[in-house]
Amino acid sequence: MAASLGFGGSNAVDKANATATANTAQPAYTGPTQMLDEHLLTPATISSIEVHGATNTRRSLLDHVFQPVVEDSAHAGTTLGQVLEHIGVATKKLARFDIFKEEGFGVFLSEAARPESAPPSDRTELDISIRVKEKSRLVFSAGTDFGNTEGSAYTNAVARNIFGGAETLSVNASTGTRTRSAYNATFSTPINGNPDLRLAVEALRSATQKPWASHEEQLTGANLRLAWLAENSDSHALAYSTVWRQLTGLAATASPTVRADAGDSLKSSLTHTFTRDRRDNPMLPQSGYLLRTISELAGWGPLNGDVSFAKTEVEASGALPVTIPGLAAKSGVSVGGGLRLGVLYPLPSGYSLTGAAQPSRINDRFQLGGPTDVRGFKIGGLGPHDGADSVGGDVYAAGSVNALVPLPRLGPESPLRLQLFANAGRLVALNNKGKGKETGEGLAMDSATVFRGVKSAVSELTNGLPSLAAGVGLVYAHPVARFELNFSLPLVLRRGEEGRKGLQVGVGINFL
Amino acid sequence: MASMPSVVPTWRTIQIPRPLQQLFDHFPLRTYDASALPERSQHLTSSDLPTLYTLLRLANFDFRILPSTNHASPTGSLPFLLPPRTSPTTSPLPIPASNLLTYALQHSSNPPTTTRDLDPDLPPRSQAYLSLITLSLRNAWLYALYLDPSHSALLQQLYTRPSSSSRGVQATLLYQLRRAAAEQIATSAGGKTVSTAAASSADAIDEEAVYNSAGDALDALASLLSESETGWAFGVERPGMFDAALFSYTHLMMQYMSGDEAADGTRALGVMVREAGNGELARHRDRMLDAAWPRWGDSKRIGREA
Repeated sequence: MAASLGFGGSNAVDKANATATANTAQPAYTGPTQMLDEHLLTPATISSIEVHGATNTRRSLLDHVFQPVVEDSAHAGTTLGQVLEHIGVATKKLARFDIFKEEGFGVFLSEAARPESAPPSDRTELDISIRVKEKSRLVFSAGTDFGNTEGSAYTNAVARNIFGGAETLSVNASTGTRTRSAYNATFSTPINGNPDLRLAVEALRSATQKPWASHEEQLTGANLRLAWLAENSDSHALAYSTVWRQLTGLAATASPTVRADAGDSLKSSLTHTFTRDRRDNPMLPQSGYLLRTISELAGWGPLNGDVSFAKTEVEASGALPVTIPGLAAKSGVSVGGGLRLGVLYPLPSGYSLTGAAQPSRINDRFQLGGPTDVRGFKIGGLGPHDGADSVGGDVYAAGSVNALVPLPRLGPESPLRLQLFANAGRLVALNNKGKGKETGEGLAMDSATVFRGVKSAVSELTNGLPSLAAGVGLVYAHPVARFELNFSLPLVLRRGEEGRKGLQVGVGINFL
Repeated sequence: MASMPSVVPTWRTIQIPRPLQQLFDHFPLRTYDASALPERSQHLTSSDLPTLYTLLRLANFDFRILPSTNHASPTGSLPFLLPPRTSPTTSPLPIPASNLLTYALQHSSNPPTTTRDLDPDLPPRSQAYLSLITLSLRNAWLYALYLDPSHSALLQQLYTRPSSSSRGVQATLLYQLRRAAAEQIATSAGGKTVSTAAASSADAIDEEAVYNSAGDALDALASLLSESETGWAFGVERPGMFDAALFSYTHLMMQYMSGDEAADGTRALGVMVREAGNGELARHRDRMLDAAWPRWGDSKRIGREA
């Protein structure tokens, strides 16, 4: 019955409506729908709102959420239905602060008692009482985690609602198969009482092994991040970060390229990330699409630091369900595709646009290949290789097509799928072969050289077929991560690139 | 995580069935030329440390010096040598400092010398003299460069500023370098530390003892040279390992620590070198410059006469 109220609220709000109708039901019973419709159209206004149970939450935070509700309901002609809708929106907003238990919400409406002397009103004045349960303010947890091609164990401490304004401090320590150690502490707070606009400051320190390029990278840094969620659920984040990177722990066989980049560098950069995720299930998309862009500006102008470049990456992927003729139910068969593009453009440091620019370092260049992007290749298997080391490239393009078919007998509801895929990629490094040779003046390139270099690297993307692999496999979509076991063969390769013939296991959250 | 190279070795040892192997052999269907390396790879790395540098010069070995860091070295210490590439994408293995001499002699473009010349048989007492260089002179050099505030500018110019433009990073590196140097001196000087606690700063080191020990060592080395008829240590015909080791300290001390900076009354190492004995060490340094850097030696002399 509550659902027919039609404001698509959470369970809590639906429950509230049930309560509301129970508390205020006076008219003669004329059938549920008619009664409700009439009821929802009665003029109403809010006399008071009380929030119970938010003992550690600042009044100002609640004001930010409920002030608009009271104001919107003050207009003449506001109906009970509208009041309920506003309350529903507000409680959902409250839930997004992540400081209240989801099952603890309760909303009670009652007609305000009116003093005898007050003039008769044609509006129902409501007293609204909202019950919430705060989540525990201090939480310790430990467990295991799956990232892209990496497993790790972590311990985490979260202090919630520290100052009563939904501020969160999260301290995390983890160790993993590739990230030998990582520590970070993040303090985040909503701005202006808006759960969809958050400011976060983070300090981090980590050491990550990069066996595909024979070294370990140690990071020490901090970042300031403003993230917001648009009305249409697109998410944006703007971050400033400064990181001291140290390339160390080189293998005995490390190549000259890696040795040349060993040591210290400071990256100071601004990054914007945009995500539009309209997939039905991120681990096993059967319909919908994902669009993501990452744009980074490092070192230029006031940013300073040791590296200077503009870098942008675009990712688009989508899936379409396939209906099988003669089968009314969902077939569980789908076809999908993905495309990723990236460019790194070296910039001069300082405010100049035409000054000399340093070529990119290995820790800024892109890597391509591996079970979660271009399958059928080793991690970092594509692109320029110096000896055994994958040294990365400045421009890349990668694409995949796949078909997912449910396993016989298990059907479309099971998280298992049979996968057929083909994926290809091309990773190219900027260089000025032949030009500017050995001048003894170091590495710097003037802006025309950089432009020519990037242009020729981009055109090199389409020189010949891209490196290509195809195969079949099994996909298991766990809510936490997606697991793939594929059998694949490389069809087209460049010398030095490392394909994988046979079986490959992929674990990750973001697949091409 | 079987996709990770570090985990797969057990798989590799499994014999692949023959039909599968035959299938695998057909792939990839097409192989293009290798992708070109990034711009930075075209400029390779190598670095200098004076003794070995001098030896390479003495061996007439053709090489280029580039700035590098300890992170880049196969052993964690500098210098190391990177042989030239034989093809655009094969990566040569670096030659650590300990094998440098052997490598240089094998690959010298114009081998006028033999191992005998560069590393001649020296009398047993040479070990004692060598330890004067590698302990006393080294400690004094480390102290002066890293811990003596009068050489902060030099230290920053040589080590921290090339590493990063960030002041924060430079300050951290400076702190780490100083700490490491203090530990080095404390461990190699043995009982000469004032406190028994782990030395992590200049305070824990007896500056007076370090410089006195260096002064004694310089006097002893000067008198060793005064005994020699050829002008090279132990009377050998051509300068070798020992001379290069001595030169590597005396030259840098005279070059960078000649007293202009030391205002607080401590003796400058460069002045100590010049005044040791009857100036034998300064003359030895000039002879070495002539032998290994003929051109630089000339310009120096001209500069001094003018």
